[in-house]
Amino acid sequence: MIHTSSNTSMMRKPVDSRIPLALVALGVCCLLAGSYWGLARAPSEIFMGDVQRIMYVHVPTAWNAMLTLVFAFTCALLFLFTNDWKWDNRLEGAIEVGVVLSLLLCIQGSIWAKPTWGVWWDWDPRLTTTAVMVCAFGGILALRAFVEDPMKRAVWSAVCCIVASADVPIVYFSVKWWNSLHQAQSSPETVSKAFHWPLRINAFGILFLWTGFVMLRSRIAALRLRSELAPPIPASAGTEAAGAAPAGAAL
Amino acid sequence: MSELVAAVRKDLLLHWRGRIQAVAIFAFGASALLLFSFAIGPDSLALRQYAAGFLWLGLLLASTLTLAESFEREMEEQALEGLLLLPASPTSLYYGKALANWALLALLGVALVPVMVVLYDAGTMRLLPLLGIIVLGTAGLSAPGTLYAAMTAQTRSRQTLLPLLFFPLVVPVLLAAVKATSLLILGDPMGQLRPWAMLLFLFDAIQWSLGGLLFGRVLED
Amino acid sequence: MSGVIQGGWEYVIAAYAVTAAVLAAYGASIFLRGRAERQRAPRAAEDR
Repeated sequence: MIHTSSNTSMMRKPVDSRIPLALVALGVCCLLAGSYWGLARAPSEIFMGDVQRIMYVHVPTAWNAMLTLVFAFTCALLFLFTNDWKWDNRLEGAIEVGVVLSLLLCIQGSIWAKPTWGVWWDWDPRLTTTAVMVCAFGGILALRAFVEDPMKRAVWSAVCCIVASADVPIVYFSVKWWNSLHQAQSSPETVSKAFHWPLRINAFGILFLWTGFVMLRSRIAALRLRSELAPPIPASAGTEAAGAAPAGAAL
Repeated sequence: MSELVAAVRKDLLLHWRGRIQAVAIFAFGASALLLFSFAIGPDSLALRQYAAGFLWLGLLLASTLTLAESFEREMEEQALEGLLLLPASPTSLYYGKALANWALLALLGVALVPVMVVLYDAGTMRLLPLLGIIVLGTAGLSAPGTLYAAMTAQTRSRQTLLPLLFFPLVVPVLLAAVKATSLLILGDPMGQLRPWAMLLFLFDAIQWSLGGLLFGRVLED
Repeated sequence: MSGVIQGGWEYVIAAYAVTAAVLAAYGASIFLRGRAERQRAPRAAEDR
């Protein structure tokens, strides 16, 4: 077995999943509490009535989707500087969770837009940028699925992640500008104080949830990477084991 | 600097030798513009209004062919490894290729303008600004496109992956270039052209810097 | 755009339901993939 510094961290026995599972459980509890508060206890908003309650889950999802992708960007930078595999594993987890949250954001935004603006999609700059991000980061996941060499896969995903992340502010400003020439509509920016608590609780709920998810997903990536980097099996050991490693390379 | 000149010369020479393909890509772009008009119908007013959008969509689609093709030759007979063995930095290789791709795309853009004028009755007297927008816009396509083409050329599903990765990234180019071209064709009473051109320039500056910084990592083995 | 939006509870329910469904489905997929990966790894290690 080759013992390099990055290998030894991977060669540790799969650590207990207690911490991520606890985070997921905590996240679910927070979400249940915050959603109950937002749905049943918080007052209706003046202009939007009960539809406002979608914000208690939409705004936390937005914050956390951004946070996840910022984390992904950090992992990409750290991998390029340190070449430590753990950052690539975390990058894979972060991008996947980020894409899921961003997709969820688009769906929630659509559901909110229909009763409010009468259309399913109103080219709101934030949602449009999110849709572009789903495509951009989803594309990175597709790239990872098609590259078999782990090193190339890691370097290329990190490079694509950096370029895509750098692009996000430009996309946002260009869409905002492009849209401002056509619409005077604006999305509700401020949420009054009565509504802060359900928002905060749900925000922490999704935060714990995605942290747990990313940790679990990183472990899956680490396990798969370990089998990909394993030394070649001698021909006498049989074909079954040789078949198991490449089979795991597909997501 | 001499490395850069040599790299540009090499890629321009490759493009020149493969000029039949460039003609084919132009034909593809022109037929795309024709097909777009079928989507709208024979409504001259609407066609003129959306002409800028069609031009840039056609150019975007054609650019994926150009960019993919620019690395095809490097993949044949492992020419890429040969290039890396030369005492030339990957950065100059990148800029050489990106500049050559830019030249080709700008030429393609200019060639498609008469097609746009004929099919959509969408001409403009402001030819120099139009050339400027085409130059800025194609620069924005070439830089990230060259970077991504270098990666996807080495993968299995290159024809799907390149557009998949590339298109979301160049949304600002599409928005800004279409808007600017539209202003040139339909009139610009409030003088909005300059800010859109600045946005294109900003995007180009960022992408050309990032590409040069990251290309070395993309090619290493 | 003025006045109060009446009702709209079906949209609220839809939003929360979709959120719960997506997060639960993703969590389940992580769990299943993790289990499959862990089962594969010791088996491959045994054969060496």
